[in-house]
Amino acid sequence: MLLEIENLVARYGRITALNGISLTVGEGEIVTLIGANGAGKTTTLRAISGLVRPASGSIRFDGREIDRLAPSEIVRAGIGHAPEGRHVFPRMTVRENLELGAYTRRVRSEIADETARVLDIFPRLKERYAQKAGTMSGGEQQMLAIGRAMMSRPRLLLLDEPSLGLSPKLVQTIFVVIREINARGTTILLIEQNARQALAVASRGYVLEVGSIAHSGAASSLAASEAVRAAYLGGAA
Amino acid sequence: MRLIAPLTARLPPALRTPRAGTALAFAAALALPFIGRNGAFTNFLADAGAFVLLALGLNIVVGFAGLLDLGYAAFFAIGSYSYAMLASPQFGIHLPFWVLLFVASAIAAIFGILLGAPTLRLRGDYLAIVTLGFGEIVPQTFLNLSQWTGGPNGIGSLDQPVLFGYRFGFNPLPYYLMVLGLIALAAWLANNLRTSRLGRAWMAIREDELAAAHMGINTTSTKLAAFAMGASFSGLAGCALASKLQLVSPDQFMFNVSVFVLAMLVLGGMGNIPGVIVGSLILSALERFILPQTTNFMHNVGLNVDLTNSRFLIYGVILVTMMLFRPEGLIPSRQRKAELHAGQADRRAAAAEGELLTEVIH
Repeated sequence: MLLEIENLVARYGRITALNGISLTVGEGEIVTLIGANGAGKTTTLRAISGLVRPASGSIRFDGREIDRLAPSEIVRAGIGHAPEGRHVFPRMTVRENLELGAYTRRVRSEIADETARVLDIFPRLKERYAQKAGTMSGGEQQMLAIGRAMMSRPRLLLLDEPSLGLSPKLVQTIFVVIREINARGTTILLIEQNARQALAVASRGYVLEVGSIAHSGAASSLAASEAVRAAYLGGAA
Repeated sequence: MRLIAPLTARLPPALRTPRAGTALAFAAALALPFIGRNGAFTNFLADAGAFVLLALGLNIVVGFAGLLDLGYAAFFAIGSYSYAMLASPQFGIHLPFWVLLFVASAIAAIFGILLGAPTLRLRGDYLAIVTLGFGEIVPQTFLNLSQWTGGPNGIGSLDQPVLFGYRFGFNPLPYYLMVLGLIALAAWLANNLRTSRLGRAWMAIREDELAAAHMGINTTSTKLAAFAMGASFSGLAGCALASKLQLVSPDQFMFNVSVFVLAMLVLGGMGNIPGVIVGSLILSALERFILPQTTNFMHNVGLNVDLTNSRFLIYGVILVTMMLFRPEGLIPSRQRKAELHAGQADRRAAAAEGELLTEVIH
């Protein structure tokens, strides 16, 4: 397994956000984590990235304990994270944003290769290459956030609500891109409120309910499960 | 840049590059004291030069890394007192000036890290309040540790720099030339830092600290590096000015100095090196010449108004006017300009969004 989380507990002060969750992501998979607001989805990703310190439990990446590493070391270890709400650098150009995505990398030719790959996946970013990120549309900013996270050439890409706030057409585009990034060899852990789309693109899924994993299994069986359908897929599928 | 564009447009293309502009400005600065041959003017240039160094240092902290530091004079004080204690009869230690230049800036940098460390989790207003506190504590400490620092009298009879047997003495000219050399060094260093990996990390933190952490930037060490670099420049300034005045005392490093330097950045253009230098020179000239001369003039025409007493009011008016009409400063950096005219950018973004909704992107 590329990523193994065991009994992860995370707290904000006295509030328990994650109450002992366990999940795994295998090399080459797309795994999705779905659940209601406040279930702990974002906290899980932030714990993997080292931005939230787990109270207990372990996170192993490629067999190595990473739960005590600094966020910068986790990026170097091979985990890229496109955060919720995009968080692009608004006053910097697309180019400068991508360059910062490659901050942990030193070899110029590799950075150039990576930039070419990202621009190949997102032709729109090529058109906007010299434009300030803050002046772009939400969809373009989301593409930039994903592209920027790919610049560190992660083995595991964490995507937090990539379709949030986008028009239906753009949501389609984002999911096509997620599939494409995965097809090119990057493992993906995807958080989505758009459960139907997420389960369609993922091979396996986990359902988080108030800090615990309520259901897990193959994406197709989760999508067919009555409990999941009732709670997250709005009944009729 | 818009401001000087009409002037530069007449120059031949070879002289329009930033490099040529820098060389011209440096040559002019070098020639300035020899044209006037006026001791008071050279004296002013030397003092103003020390403040240019301070402004360049604070620009790293506030302009590049976006950490609002309201107690920057503390590091100026530490640099000055380092020189005073190690090159005066106070302890009978007389280390050479040129060695102390590095020592003082290293000591200031260490204090930059020590004072920066507790503020790492703070940002914005909270950071400003804590640094304001440091700015108060440091001169108070020098005031009260009178057995070492001479208390309110400070330390006097500081050693004058000696270069290859030439004693700087009381003539301001050698001090000015030295400060000019330090400014050239500091501006070169700041410019290289700006485009370096570290500089990009500073700007990422300034833009969005959370996103910077996501990029694998170690925000702790990057912020501490900004405090250390900024403080080291003020160590140079402190050393230079202390050796020229041959006196340090706590009242030289009060809150108004921190605000004065910050106002230089706001006026000139935060984050932009030429802007910061210009802003610094304007405020120094205002303080030393423009206000006293205008007051003199008013007295001569029979108006009993003393502008020098109300100089903080005048600085305040200048800052408010700048905030209202040109918040990015006289010579803005590209990003500040974009940030402060975000309203226009939002409209463009909205237009782009509308366009996107009507077409498929992939």
